[in-house]
Amino acid sequence: MSVVETNVATTGAMATGANSPAAAESWQPSILAFACHWCTYSGADLAGLNRMEYPANVRLLRVPCSGRVNPQYVLSALGKGADGVLVCGCHPGDCHYVSGNYYAKRRLMAFKRLLEFTGLEPGRFQVRWISGSEAGKFRDTVTRVCEEVRALGPLTTDQRQALADPVLAGAAATTQAGEAQ
Amino acid sequence: MLLAKNRLLELLEHLSTQARVYVPARLEVASLAGESTDSGTLSHFVQYAAGVQPDFELVNTTLPPKDMLFPQTQKMYRYGFDTDGVPYIDPIHDADEVVVFGLRSCDMASIDCMDQVFLTKGYEDEFYAPRRQKLLCVALACGQAAESCFCDSMGIDPNVAANADIQLVAGDEAFSLSAQTEKGQAALSQWQAFLSAGELPVAPAPTSCSLKVEANGLKDKLEQMYEHPLWEQISKKCLTCGTCTFVCPTCHCFDISQSNRMQMGERFRSWDSCMFFDYTEMAGHHNPRAAKMPRVRQRFMHKLCFFEERYGCSLCVGCGRCVAQCPVALDITVLIDQIGAAPLDEKQDVEGAVHAG
Amino acid sequence: MSDSQSIQASLRSRAAELLASDQVAELIGWGAGRFPDQTTPLFITQADQAEGLVYSEYCQNTLGKYAITELSELVADQGKLAICVRGCESRGINRMLKDNQIERDRLYLLGIPCSGMKNRQSGELLSKCMNCSHKNPVIYDELLGETVAEGEPDRFGAVCALEECDRASREQYFDAAFDRCIRCYACREVCPVCTCRECFVDQHEVGWQGKQGNTTENRFYSLTRAFHISDRCVECGECERACPMGLPLMVLNRKLVKDLDDLFQAGEAGLDAVAVNSLGTYDVADVEEFM
Repeated sequence: MSVVETNVATTGAMATGANSPAAAESWQPSILAFACHWCTYSGADLAGLNRMEYPANVRLLRVPCSGRVNPQYVLSALGKGADGVLVCGCHPGDCHYVSGNYYAKRRLMAFKRLLEFTGLEPGRFQVRWISGSEAGKFRDTVTRVCEEVRALGPLTTDQRQALADPVLAGAAATTQAGEAQ
Repeated sequence: MLLAKNRLLELLEHLSTQARVYVPARLEVASLAGESTDSGTLSHFVQYAAGVQPDFELVNTTLPPKDMLFPQTQKMYRYGFDTDGVPYIDPIHDADEVVVFGLRSCDMASIDCMDQVFLTKGYEDEFYAPRRQKLLCVALACGQAAESCFCDSMGIDPNVAANADIQLVAGDEAFSLSAQTEKGQAALSQWQAFLSAGELPVAPAPTSCSLKVEANGLKDKLEQMYEHPLWEQISKKCLTCGTCTFVCPTCHCFDISQSNRMQMGERFRSWDSCMFFDYTEMAGHHNPRAAKMPRVRQRFMHKLCFFEERYGCSLCVGCGRCVAQCPVALDITVLIDQIGAAPLDEKQDVEGAVHAG
Repeated sequence: MSDSQSIQASLRSRAAELLASDQVAELIGWGAGRFPDQTTPLFITQADQAEGLVYSEYCQNTLGKYAITELSELVADQGKLAICVRGCESRGINRMLKDNQIERDRLYLLGIPCSGMKNRQSGELLSKCMNCSHKNPVIYDELLGETVAEGEPDRFGAVCALEECDRASREQYFDAAFDRCIRCYACREVCPVCTCRECFVDQHEVGWQGKQGNTTENRFYSLTRAFHISDRCVECGECERACPMGLPLMVLNRKLVKDLDDLFQAGEAGLDAVAVNSLGTYDVADVEEFM
C-alpha cells in the first residue's frame, strides 16, 4: 500500500497531531480521490487549464479505470489518515474498457452500504461519474466533498492516534538535543 | 491476614492510584438489536477503573493474562527524520507498575514458563524484563474447576499458585492473604489499612479437576514419536486457525513488523501463531511447514516435549482454554491420551512425513 | 428411535458398506468428543471405524471445507471422498464446485436433512441454525432419513433491526466488536468460500494487512473478509460459530447478501454450481446512484 501511504495528503494537522487543541483549529481534512485516467483525470486537467479553483485538501490518485479501485484501497486510505475518499470514473456507457465502471458501480454500491452499516458517515466515502469535459462538475464535486468532510471533522483511527502520541511528537526534539551534546 | 470482601473494591481503588490494576471481568458482548452469537460468556483481565465489575467467580478467563507481560502488539521503537532531516531512533519502554489481581494457579504457572523464555539462558528480553519486574502477582485459589480444567494433571495445584507474590483464598466473607515472596510481603505491609489479622473461620475444601490426563513420561514418549502416523490422523480436522495459540497463556511466539507513514514509523512485535502458513515462510517462499500436519505436530511437540527438553517444565499448564475454544474440538487432553496409548512399534510413516514437510 | 438416532444408524451402516466396497476411500462425518454431547469432525478410511460415527443434535461443525484438503491428498483412482452434507454443507459444496476447488465426480455426498443443531452447553438452537433457509441438502448422492419441512426463516431480521439503529450506536457496536477480534482467522479457515490459495492477509510483501492488533486493522480485516465473500456467502454461519470472540460476523455477511439481493436480485448463493456471482457481472440497467 505504498501508493496510499505516499499519496494521502499530510495537510498540516496530521504531522503535528490531530488531537491537540491547537491542531483542532487549524485542522484541514485530507481527502483521497481516485480518478480514472480516461475521464475524471482529464476533467481535473481541464479544470486546471481553465484556472478553476478547488480545495487543496483533495489529492488525486490516478487509476486506469474506476474498476481498478479495489474496495480495500478505500478502507486502507480511511485507516491510514484520509478523512474522506472519493472515487470518480467515466459515466456508465463511456468506459474506455467498455465495462469497468459497470463492475465498479455494483461493487462500490454494495461496499458503500457496508461501510455505512458499520458506522461510517455517508459523506466520507463518495462515488461520482465525471467525464473528461466536465471540469465544472469536477470542481463542484471535490469542493462539496471537501466541505462535507470538513463538517464531519477528523476521522479517528488507531494509526493517527499513535502518530499523535506525545512521545512521538517529542521524539524529534529529544533526538536533536541528544545529538547537540 | 484477612481482607473483608466488602473492602475489596476499596483496596482496588486505592491500588489503582499507584499502579495499573488488572482484574478478571466479563467481556460484554453488547447486542444492539437483539442479534446473538454462540460465543457464550467471554472474559478477560481488564484494567480496573470506575465501572469495571471484577468477577472473581469466573473459573478462568477466556483470554489469558499474558498480554500484561507480552502484549498482542508491543511497540519497540519509533524512527524517522526530524524537521532538519536528521534520522532518529527512539526506543519505547512503556512498562508501568502493574498489579494483577485474581490470577489462577495455571496463569501463574504460565508466567513462570514465559519467564523461562524471556529471562533465562543468557538472554533477557528488554521489553519483557521491566514489565515482569514491575508486576505484582496476586493469585486466587480456585473455588471450582471448569469442565476443561486439567491443571492438577500437569503438576499444578489449583489451590496454591507457586511463585505468586500473594496468594488469596476466598472464604465466605473474606479473602485470606498470604505473602509468598518478599515483594508480596512488602505489598501486604502497605495494604495494612485494608486488612485485618486472622484466619478464615472455615478453610474452603480444596479444589481438584475432574478432567484427568496422564502426563508422566510424555516427553520421553514424544521424543520417539516425531514420525508417528498419529500426527497425520489428528491434524486432519485442524483448521490451522490461531485460536488455540492466542488463548493459550504460554504461547509466546511473535513476529516483528513495522508501520510506516511519510517520514516516520514504528517497529513493533505482535503475537504470531505456529498454526499460520506464513509463520515459517522464508524469503523466496520456501516453507518447511507448508502443510497442516507439521504445523499441528510442532504446536503439540513444543508444548509437551521440546520446551521440557530445553527448560525442564511442560509448556502446557492445563488451563483448558484451547480445549474450550477450539472450533473443531481438537482437544489436547484427548491427544495426550492418544500419545499414551500409541504403540511405538507401529510402522512410522517416514515417507508421509517427508512429503508433508 | 429419534430421527437423529435413526440417521446415525443408517449413516454407520452405509459408511461401512461404502468403505468396505472401496467405492469410497475416506468418509468425513462426526465423532464423539471428550465431553457429554460434544462432537468433533471425524475422518475414517476403514469400514470397522464406522461405529465411531456420531449423528446427534450437537453436530455443530460444518464439514464442507474439509473436501478441499482431503481431496488434494486422496489418490484419484482409489475411490471417492464421502462427506455428510446437510443444507449448509451442500451449499458450501456447490460453492466450491462453482469455484473449481473440488470435482463432483470424486465426491460421494451423503445427504442428511437437518432441523438445526444445538449448543451443547445451553441446550438451545445454535444461532447459525436459527434462520436456516435450507434444512435439506440441495445436492447429494443419497439421502439418509426423510426430508424435513423448510421453515420460514427471517434471514435479515438482525440486519434490518441494526439498520434501524442510529449511525453512532452502530459505529460503537461494530468498533467494540472489531476491538475484540484477536485475528485468529478461524472465520477464514472454516469458510467454504475462502479458498484463495494465498489470502490477502498473508501477502506481506504487498502489505494489505498490518500485523498490529487494533480496531482499525481488525476492521480492515473483517470488512475485507465480508466483502470478499459477499456475493458467494452460503450463509452457513460457520464463521460466526467458530469465532472465539463472539463477533457478529453473520450480520456483516447478511447485510451484503441482502443489499446484493435488493439491488441486483442476486438471490441465494450455493443453490447450484452454475449461477453467476452478482459482483462478477453487471447489467447496463443497474440502479444508478453515483450520477
